[in-house]
Amino acid sequence: MCGYFREITSINLKFKHIDILKYIELVFTDYTLRTITLGTAILGAICGMLGSFAVLKKQSLLGDAISHAALPGIAIAFLITGTKDSNVLLIGALVSGLIGAFWIRGITRNTHLKSDTALGLILSTFFGFGMLLLTYIQKLPDANQSGLDKFLFGQAATLLVSDVWFMAIITFVCIIVLLLFWKEFKLLLFDPDFTKTLGFNTKFLDILITSFIVLAIVMGLQTVGVVLMSALLLAPAAAARQWTNSLRVMVMLAAMFGSLSGVLGTAISSSQANLSTGPVIVLIAGVFVLISFIFSPSRGLLFKQLRLIQNRKDLELHKTLTFMYDIAKNHHNKSHPHTIKILNNFQGFTKKTLQQLEHKNYITVEGQQWAMTEKGYEFAENMYNQQMVETHE
Amino acid sequence: MSSAQIEIQLIASLVAIACAIPGTFLVLRKMALISDAISHSILPGLVLGFFITQDLSSPWLIVMAALSGVVTVILVEYIQKTNLVKEDTAIGLVFPTMFSIGVILIAKNANDVHLDIDVVLLGELAFTPFDRMMVGDVDLGPKSLWVIGIILSSTIGLLIAFFKELKISTFDKGLATTLGFSPAIIHYGLMSVASVTTVGAFDAVGAILVVALMIAPAATAYLLTTDLKKMLGLAMIFGVFSAIVGYWLAHYLDASISGSMTTILGLLFLLVYLIAPGKGLIAVLYRNKQQRIEVSLLTFLLHLNNHSEIEERHINHLNEHINWRKVRAKFVVDLALKNNMVTIDEDIISLTEKGRIFTEKAINYIISNDPTEIEAIKEDFFLFRG
Repeated sequence: MCGYFREITSINLKFKHIDILKYIELVFTDYTLRTITLGTAILGAICGMLGSFAVLKKQSLLGDAISHAALPGIAIAFLITGTKDSNVLLIGALVSGLIGAFWIRGITRNTHLKSDTALGLILSTFFGFGMLLLTYIQKLPDANQSGLDKFLFGQAATLLVSDVWFMAIITFVCIIVLLLFWKEFKLLLFDPDFTKTLGFNTKFLDILITSFIVLAIVMGLQTVGVVLMSALLLAPAAAARQWTNSLRVMVMLAAMFGSLSGVLGTAISSSQANLSTGPVIVLIAGVFVLISFIFSPSRGLLFKQLRLIQNRKDLELHKTLTFMYDIAKNHHNKSHPHTIKILNNFQGFTKKTLQQLEHKNYITVEGQQWAMTEKGYEFAENMYNQQMVETHE
Repeated sequence: MSSAQIEIQLIASLVAIACAIPGTFLVLRKMALISDAISHSILPGLVLGFFITQDLSSPWLIVMAALSGVVTVILVEYIQKTNLVKEDTAIGLVFPTMFSIGVILIAKNANDVHLDIDVVLLGELAFTPFDRMMVGDVDLGPKSLWVIGIILSSTIGLLIAFFKELKISTFDKGLATTLGFSPAIIHYGLMSVASVTTVGAFDAVGAILVVALMIAPAATAYLLTTDLKKMLGLAMIFGVFSAIVGYWLAHYLDASISGSMTTILGLLFLLVYLIAPGKGLIAVLYRNKQQRIEVSLLTFLLHLNNHSEIEERHINHLNEHINWRKVRAKFVVDLALKNNMVTIDEDIISLTEKGRIFTEKAINYIISNDPTEIEAIKEDFFLFRG
């Protein structure tokens, strides 16, 4: 326990001593750091963009299943070719990820098993098969097999400039395709049936977007790893969703959150010993989600709570006013003063509500007496009418 | 077979049975992925438990881990309730975050923590016989056997005690509520059992196999039966089968036992997915083909019924008139001929009396769209077997 806390405090201490300017300078001069930072930034961007579609299509966990399903492909590619060239291994990952993705579609379409079962099934069995192969490879006599397990949790440090170029090209292609089919994708997301009746080939569009998601996941395997890849796909999109209702803005925001998580995650993990990049990036993305959940102006929990409190206050005020109105309407003189005491058997008033009502000029308070003003009477009357209209509707 | 080998297979089988029970209900309640979430997010609980006790075999580890599983479920539900994101997104957000925390905690303390990520993912089934339960000098068998045995017996106890409640609340939530069972209690009870089972099994077989053992046997069984008791039984049998076959496969390949158990589970599912009677892929494709033929035959007969002109009924015209690319026209004509629905006279096809009556019935069914109408045709229709 003690050791654990000591560890935490030492992290904090180290944080204070990081010179941010120096780090930024290092990013531009240091080859490795520059490569990793660029790589994770691009990865975050493409994952955020494509993740938006996955989240809106309610296929959030498809990414999780695909990334796990990619593992046996890596192992098989190694067994066949014997190289550890990441491009070869990633092609294997791509193939087995695609097989997994389409098998999930097949299961949900052809049997009565639901999508969650199909996802969990493919995820666990493919991953288990991959682990079987990995442990089998580890015990093979020739020695160059170590390092395959970097795909489990990712090792951003192994990113090469060629990998980053590859990522950049894929991202570029992805952006072009998104721009070309923007209208179609948007339609497909929000009204697939309508898209079909308009004569678009929904199957093709669906396969196109799924393939891009698989591609993005496979690219991330090297950096973030099989286990945590899905979070990089989901978290930026889920965070972006809270700030806007427009798909265009959401995709751009998600890309931004994704890259920021990548850059910040790299920065934090590289300034610490023993801290792998993948989990840190995922945690940063998680922080973005948390902030968005709480502070988003329209959907966020904080403002929702504030609005709730405000509404409750208004309601209490109106309740008190209605009660007063019910008393006042029985009198010929609307502004006839009454004692505050008669409000006592009614729970919904406090000194504060009275003050507020007086402040709004709905009532006047003199000593222990209150009287309704003309304005307050009218307001209460109208409020009552409004309520009636609403309930009748 | 040495005693260690028997013990490993015994532990694996018990884990399989213990997972199959909550797994069946999770699959039926469409919450299969919760097991994935739980299995990943018990990691920080485990690590924190280790920091507190400094002892990997302490029962507090299990308690902490199970707690963090339940916390995950609650967190997922809380996020869902805010309506900020959909249910699956909530799961997908919570467990990677929890898992990351666990991984970072381990990595930062790599020097004094004897937890290994590989062990977390895969477990160390092969070593379980060496960690023995000792009372004084008496050897009571492997510790994992005791842990999973206790979990399994309490799960079976709970299953028998609450079988009716679980059944009703799984298939008809509304009825369960009106009958006065609290859905929340059953839900969280199931989640706690799933969580504890995951933790207990986790120790032996690792995070991934727990998910596989929960979902795969239940999903495979679900393809074969719709009876809850049979499904539970089948799921257990599949689990045990994969445990034993998986062990020997791993033995042969000298690879991870849990990996090979999962592989066997996957292969088993693939097999059943392809050949399950009625619900398997082959059966589904066959049924689709049958239905296509049935519809074609109906279209054909209706067309004949509609046209008395000779040119409309000429065999060559029919070929073009009805768009049959998928089902061979000849096949349908032959089928109709064989069943005495039509006669062919110098390439002109006409309906027989039997064909006419059948077509009338079919039209009736199509117009009324009443399921009871089809019962009458089913008798006549040699192809309707459903």
